Amino acid sequence: MHTKSWHSVGPSLDACIKCNICTSYCPVTAVTDLFPGPKYVGPQAQRFRENGQPHSPDHSVDYCSGCRVCNEVCPTGVKIAELNARARAQIVAENGLPLRNRLLGRNETLGKLAQIAPRLANLSLHNPVSRVLAEKVMGIARHAPLPRFSESGTFGDWFQRTQHERLKSDKKAVYFHGCATMYYEPFVGKAAVAVLEHNGYEVIVPPQNCCGLPLLSNGEFDEAAKYHSNNVNKMRIYAQAGLDIVGTSTSCTLTLKEEAPELLDAFDEGSNQLKMATWDIFEWLRERYEAGELKTDFRRMEMVLPYHAPCQYRAHRVGKPALDILRLIPGVDVRESHARCCGIAGTYGYKAEKYQIGMDVGAELFDFVAEQGDVALTACDSETCRWQLEHGTDKPSRHPIEILAAAYGLYELNGRDVVHS
Amino acid sequence: MLDLLVIGAGLTGLTAAYTAAKSGLRVKVIAKGLGAMHWGAGTLDILGYLPGEEGAVKRPLAAISQLPDGHPYRLAGDVAGVLATFVALTEEIGLPFQREVGRRLTQINADSENLLLPSPVGAARPAFAAPVGQLGGDLSRPEPMLIVGFTGLRDFYPQLIAENLTRQGYPARAAFLPLAVVSGRRDNTAVSIARELDNPDQRQKLAQALRPLLKPGERVGLPAILGLDDHMQALADLQGLMGTAVFEIPTLPPSVPGMRLFRALEERLQRLGVRVEVGMEVTGANRGWRPETRDSQSPISNLQSPISIEWVETETSARPLKHRARAFLLATGGILGGGFESDVNGRVWEPIFNLPLTAPQKRSGWFRPAFLDPQGHPVFNGGVAVSPDFRPVDGAGRPLFANVWAAGGLLANFDPILERSLSGTAVVTGMAAAQAIVEHVKCEP
Repeated sequence: MHTKSWHSVGPSLDACIKCNICTSYCPVTAVTDLFPGPKYVGPQAQRFRENGQPHSPDHSVDYCSGCRVCNEVCPTGVKIAELNARARAQIVAENGLPLRNRLLGRNETLGKLAQIAPRLANLSLHNPVSRVLAEKVMGIARHAPLPRFSESGTFGDWFQRTQHERLKSDKKAVYFHGCATMYYEPFVGKAAVAVLEHNGYEVIVPPQNCCGLPLLSNGEFDEAAKYHSNNVNKMRIYAQAGLDIVGTSTSCTLTLKEEAPELLDAFDEGSNQLKMATWDIFEWLRERYEAGELKTDFRRMEMVLPYHAPCQYRAHRVGKPALDILRLIPGVDVRESHARCCGIAGTYGYKAEKYQIGMDVGAELFDFVAEQGDVALTACDSETCRWQLEHGTDKPSRHPIEILAAAYGLYELNGRDVVHS
Repeated sequence: MLDLLVIGAGLTGLTAAYTAAKSGLRVKVIAKGLGAMHWGAGTLDILGYLPGEEGAVKRPLAAISQLPDGHPYRLAGDVAGVLATFVALTEEIGLPFQREVGRRLTQINADSENLLLPSPVGAARPAFAAPVGQLGGDLSRPEPMLIVGFTGLRDFYPQLIAENLTRQGYPARAAFLPLAVVSGRRDNTAVSIARELDNPDQRQKLAQALRPLLKPGERVGLPAILGLDDHMQALADLQGLMGTAVFEIPTLPPSVPGMRLFRALEERLQRLGVRVEVGMEVTGANRGWRPETRDSQSPISNLQSPISIEWVETETSARPLKHRARAFLLATGGILGGGFESDVNGRVWEPIFNLPLTAPQKRSGWFRPAFLDPQGHPVFNGGVAVSPDFRPVDGAGRPLFANVWAAGGLLANFDPILERSLSGTAVVTGMAAAQAIVEHVKCEP
C-alpha cells in the first residue's frame, strides 16, 4: 500500500464538533441507507482506522461518491472527502480490487486500445447484449451513460493534422486535454484551442498522461502515483518557463492541482510547480477577463441555458467561473443549478450496485432542468456529469467552452465542430 | 466590481446581504462553511436574560436601556425598526415570524413581551417571535401538552421535556410513536424525517398514528420535523388532520427550523442576484498582507489614518483567489461561531483582519468558576469593538479601516449565550451595519 502520512488530512478530524451539518446536506445519505453519512464514515470511523488498526471498521465508506458537499458545508474545516478517499485505499490494499474497478480506473489504456478500431469498440460496447453481459460479469450498470469513442480520430490526431493552421504567438498557453477529450470528445479540445487562439494565445499540447483521478477514486494509489510523476516530468518545464497550463476537464485540473499531491503525498518541487501552474480553463479565462484581457466580441445567442457546476468546482474552491463568463454573452439566459450533484460522481454511477443511487441523487438536477421549460441544451464543465445529464434529461449537454467558442462565432453547437473559415 | 463582500453566511451575513442588495448594491457572500443557524432554535431572540439578574426578561425592548453603553443594541439605535424589517423579510420568504398564530406581527415596541416556548429539555425558553410552527407551544396558553417523540430518534426526549414542563406548572405528558410511522429509513435524523414529511402521504400516516394518543383538549408537541421544503403546508395539513394545535420543539443539531430559514434566505438572495459561496476560507487581505502576529496589540492599530482593504483572498486548490470589493463586512461569528481562533494558552485572535479583541488573552481569564454563573463568562463577552456605525476601532475609538465593517456574534460587549440574544443581535447589527455600508458606498464617487 502507498505510504500515507496524515499531516494535511488527519488532524482536521479533531475539528469535528459532531454537528451533523454534513449528514444533513449529503446527497447520497439522502437517498440510501447504504451510506450512513459523512460524519460516521469520515471523522468518526477514522478513530478506528489509525494507529495500525488491522481492519477498516466500516466498508460503507465505499458508498461515498466523493462529491465533497460535506467538505463545503463543514463549519470547522474537516477534510471529510479526503478521509474517505484514503479509507477506500486502505480497503483496496486489504481486500484487493475487482476487475471492474481496475477497468474503470484506466481511461487512458482503454482509449488507446479502442482507437485501434473505434467503430468496432463502440459496436461491441454499445449494444444491449454486451451491456447486459458487462453488468452480469463485471457489475457495470447496463443503463449507465458510457461514452462513445471518437470515430473521427483523437484530439491529438486533429491537433497534429492542423499544425499548419495553428496560431503562432508570443503569448502561449499549455493545454491539458485529459482522456475524455483525447479519446471521446475531441471537439471540446477543438473549442478550447479556438477560444485560446481567438484571444491571441498559441496553444501548446505537450505529451501527457491520464491525471490519475479514476485510479485514485477507486483506491489504486500506487498506479495513480506513476501517472502523476509522468505528468510532472512531462510538464514541469512549462511551469518553470512561467506558462499557464489550462484544462477543460475540471476533474483533471483538480487532480493536478490538489488531489494527486494531497492523496499521494507528492509535495516535491515538480508537483508543486505543476500544481501552481494549472488552471481550470474558465478559472483562467475569468482571470483574463478581470485583467481586461478577454475578448468580448460575442455574437448574440438567444437561448435559455441551464448550467450545472460540477462537484469538482466545489473542490477547486474558485466559485463558479464558467457562470461568470457565460453571463457575459448577450442573449444567453444562464439558469444556475443549485442541485448538489448529478449523481455520476466520476465512476460511481457506472457501478451496478450504485447506478440507482446515482440516478436518485441526480433527480434534483434533472428536475431543475425540466423546470426550465423546453430548452435545447444544458451546460456543464465535467464530461461524466454531461453524460449523466444527457442520460437523465434526454437533452444534449455542452461544455461551457463550446458555448463560448460558439459565441465567438468559431464553433457549431449542433454539429460540435469548429467552424472552418 | 462588487460593492460589498460579506464574509460569513450566518443570520448576520445573510440579513446584511439582503439589506444591501435591496438598496441596489452588488453583493456577494462567502463563507468557510455553513454556520450557526444550523445549530440554533430558529427563533428571533432579542433579549432573554440580563446579566446578573434572576429570571427572564419580560419586555426585551424596554430592557435594552439597562444594557451597558457599548452593547450592540445600544449602538444600533432603532432596534424596533430594524426588527420590523426582518419580520417583513420572513413574510417575504414564506416563513413568517409571528407572536400569535395567524396574526401578522406589525407592532414591535417597548411594551412587547417575550414569549415563553418549550426548549429541547423542557425549560421555558424566552423568545421574542418565532416561526408559526413553534407558536403552538406558547406556554401562556392553557391547553395541556402531549409531547410525542419517536423511538430511536436520538435527538429528542419527550419524557424529559414533559416532566420538566409539568414541574414548572405547564401540564404536559409524553408519548412515543415508532419511527416506522414516518420513516422507512434505517438511520434517522430530524432532517431526514423532515424530508419524509415533505410528502403529504407521510403526514396522513403521522396524523393517523397520533390521533389515538390524543386526549380531548390537548395540543401536540413534536420534534421540529414538519417538512423541510414544504413546511408551511405540512404544518397546515397536520393541524387540519388533527383538529388541534400542533407545534414543533427544536431538536439537538442539526436544527430543521434553522435550516429552513437558511435555505429560504439564500434563495431570496439568489433572486436578488447575490451569490452565496460556501467552502471559501479567507486566508489573507489586501496586498498579500497576512495576520502574522497573534498579539491583541495589532500592528495596524498604530497607523495614523485608516487604510482601505482592496481585496481579501480565499484558499483554493492551488493559488489564492482574490475577491475585490468597495466594502467588506466581517460576519464570521464569535468564539463559538468560528470567527475567532485560539490556542492552548488562551490567546484569542481574529484571523482575517487581525482586529483587536477585548477577549481575555489567558485561559485562566476565560471562565468564571460556576458554569451557570449569572454574570456569564468573560470569553463570551469579548470581541471586536466597533464605532456607532459598526466599524472596527482601535483602543482610542478610531476606525481601523476605511471600508471594513463588523456585525453579529463577533462583536464585543455582550454575551449572546447569557442574554439569549444571538439571533436578535445578528439581525439588528447585520441590518444596521448594512445600512451604514449602503450610505458609505452611495456617498463615495
